[in-house]
Amino acid sequence: MTALPLFNNINVYLFMGLFLLACGIVGVIYRRTLVSMLISIELIMNGAGLNFVVFNRFLSDRPYGMAFTLFIMGIAAAEAAIALAIIILIFRRFRNVESDDLKEMKD
Amino acid sequence: MILADAIFILIALMTMAGALATVLARSIIYAMLGLVVTMFGIAGLYIYLNAPFIAMMQILIYVGAISILIAFAIMVVGPLSQRPKEWTTLKRFIIAFVVAVSSFFIFLKFVVQSKWLPGTFSVSSLTTKDIGRAFFDKLMLPFELISLLLVVAIIGAIMLALFSRENK
Repeated sequence: MTALPLFNNINVYLFMGLFLLACGIVGVIYRRTLVSMLISIELIMNGAGLNFVVFNRFLSDRPYGMAFTLFIMGIAAAEAAIALAIIILIFRRFRNVESDDLKEMKD
Repeated sequence: MILADAIFILIALMTMAGALATVLARSIIYAMLGLVVTMFGIAGLYIYLNAPFIAMMQILIYVGAISILIAFAIMVVGPLSQRPKEWTTLKRFIIAFVVAVSSFFIFLKFVVQSKWLPGTFSVSSLTTKDIGRAFFDKLMLPFELISLLLVVAIIGAIMLALFSRENK
């Protein structure tokens, strides 16, 4: 694999997807507001889509990985729309969007 | 080849810096801008992976639609000056860091250990035409289901907003 240039190495791309996943996990746990957690989830979904395209490019000659990346994009759009509607509802009701304060069902 | 490698390293560093800015930025609007930078970097990686159609869709959907949606949510949720700081306690950061680093190294072990089949690293010549044929041949049902899902999501978002206004 060392003879190939850097962008033809599968491990580089997998490392990028892994880095995005780790950053997303840090964001989901560490962030305080719901919108930031949604942004971190988008990061994780980006990493997943990148992995699909990488495996399709290096290990297959049929376009199903790319098709699934397009599906992931559609699902991410739907998920963002619903999540933002819910965030706006929560904001109207509680006047803030901090995840630590949303414990009405827990009490 | 040297130039291609240099541009690739630049794009990869841009993606990683954007991801770090998304997670660690103090203000939420900077986090959103970091997300935009990350998505542009991933579009560049898609171009390096011989998938220009996916790169274009990445820019159109993620940068064009989802980032704008998140920007609207940030604006609706309130002015920036009244928002509490994004920093949380050190304990929580340590928990997040430990979880992320441990999962990172577990998956890195999988990546390093796996032996890919030799001879499959040739450049596959998949074009947009092949993706379209796959969509309308074998992936017909999931394709239609995605459109149904999008319609349901849009109607659901509108209904959520409307019902909340009636209750007030």
